Amino acid sequence: MSRPAVLAARLRTAAWLGWQIEANWADPFTFIVYSAVRPLATALILAVMYRAVAGIASSGQAFLGFYVANAFHEYVIRVLVGMGWVIVEEREEFETLKFVYTSPIGMFTYLWGRSSVKFVQASLSLLLILTTGWLILGLRWDWGAVRWLPLLLSFVLGLIAIVYFGFFVAGWALVLPRAAISVNEGVAAALTLLCGVIFPIDLLPRAVQVVAMLLPFTWWYEALRRFLIGHGASARLSSFSDGALLAALAVSTALFSCVSVWGYGVLERRARQNGKLDQARLF
Amino acid sequence: MSPARADGRPGDLALNLRATWGRMYVRVVGSAREPTWIMSDAVFPALSMASFVLLYRALGAPRSFESLAVLGGIMATYWINVLWGMGAQLYWEKQSGQLQLYFIAPCSRMSILTGMALGGIFMTTTRAIFSIAVGFGLLGVRVAPFALAPLLLVFVVTMTALYGLGMTLASLFLLYGREAWHVCNALQEPVFFLSGLYFPLRALGALGAVAAGIVPLGLGVDAMRQVILGPAARGWLPVRVEVAILAVLAVVFLILARASLRYLEALSKREGRLTQRWQ
Repeated sequence: MSRPAVLAARLRTAAWLGWQIEANWADPFTFIVYSAVRPLATALILAVMYRAVAGIASSGQAFLGFYVANAFHEYVIRVLVGMGWVIVEEREEFETLKFVYTSPIGMFTYLWGRSSVKFVQASLSLLLILTTGWLILGLRWDWGAVRWLPLLLSFVLGLIAIVYFGFFVAGWALVLPRAAISVNEGVAAALTLLCGVIFPIDLLPRAVQVVAMLLPFTWWYEALRRFLIGHGASARLSSFSDGALLAALAVSTALFSCVSVWGYGVLERRARQNGKLDQARLF
Repeated sequence: MSPARADGRPGDLALNLRATWGRMYVRVVGSAREPTWIMSDAVFPALSMASFVLLYRALGAPRSFESLAVLGGIMATYWINVLWGMGAQLYWEKQSGQLQLYFIAPCSRMSILTGMALGGIFMTTTRAIFSIAVGFGLLGVRVAPFALAPLLLVFVVTMTALYGLGMTLASLFLLYGREAWHVCNALQEPVFFLSGLYFPLRALGALGAVAAGIVPLGLGVDAMRQVILGPAARGWLPVRVEVAILAVLAVVFLILARASLRYLEALSKREGRLTQRWQ
């Protein structure tokens, strides 16, 4: 068997296992409802917040950008944070992490395969949120004005950043048994705030804005808004041309990915040295 | 003191009070012992709240909406505690192999749950201080002076109803395994939405009315906002009416919790699922 065929087989196995773990506790209908209810509720919170102030607020136009970014944020919540949860489940809940390590699949391939199921879930959530916004909440944009090529490029770059940062979060989960749940939740909450998902980063303190601009996700959300609905959300980032925006996204993604792979290696070694790979402390 | 009875009937008052104190003590003392849990209980809900406040700011909404979101964010920490610290607690205990100890103890299960609830309220209140600091300190949200006594009254009634619901959820999770975890996950954001934590409850219209009759969080938040913010809270019902409904819900949930605890304990024993791990 060739190396790509072996890799594909391993990814497929990890994805299949991931699907079983994610979904086999319920019948398909219950699982679909369960998967849809959280992202839909979050989107509806935003929509009702906007409706509550629509008559008196002055920046209604910006809301569409926040809504769209919140829909794409599903990838961060499901895939990136989900990779940290894989470690928690395998080590603490099912106590099977040691078996993954002793199998030939390799942790990177395993995490990658598991994340593919989460990618599908996130994509369905994205579609659900955008469709609800379009059909029920009247949050629409001009399809003719969509710039498909840069949008697709931005989307792919963002996904690369998400998957690689997911490895890093998984690495942290390896060295922090018991606290890993808090790390996972914290990453989700912190990225929502730092990357200006539902507000422009201009509202953050200046020093925090600098941190935000080091993160690829900040550029990702801005690029997705600009190329999908025609305008961004941040006055500061709007001074960047399309090319500069994409370049910033590409460079930050490349740097982030390198640091994440290196960081995962360091953290995994530390987890092995300290005997934490099999240290179930939660239950 | 009368001899202890295994079913924890009223004759065991002193024993049950001791059990309540014992279970509460664990939470009170434990609340300061796990720094990472302080982070997850206090800091992360505050981060979400800050995002919602900044959304209102970005939309150019009146400042009173920011106050609404801060108060909602503070109350969100209590709902998270009800779900994960009450509802899912017996699931945690089952996973760690301690649930059987609860059942061989001679006290009432309700006294244990009451201790868990009181300890949970204490623990969450200490966590909520961080949200208050972020909301009113860091984000600069302001409220006018308000009467403290009515606020405390509304808070106590709300907590009784909310944690009564938590006790009912806890009894449900005697029977279930992984499903319990997923149910808690599925209930978090939808209840944030249906309770109007980040917007006035009345913005939900009829949906809000239905939700308020099921989950007491929305009525409690609405009443507390009215006490603190007055007309700027854009309240749904008069505070007296909301407090009366909350009191009724509190009684209903406590009775329901007791009944469901007995029923589900018996059922899970019959089906051999009471101490079954990794379901």
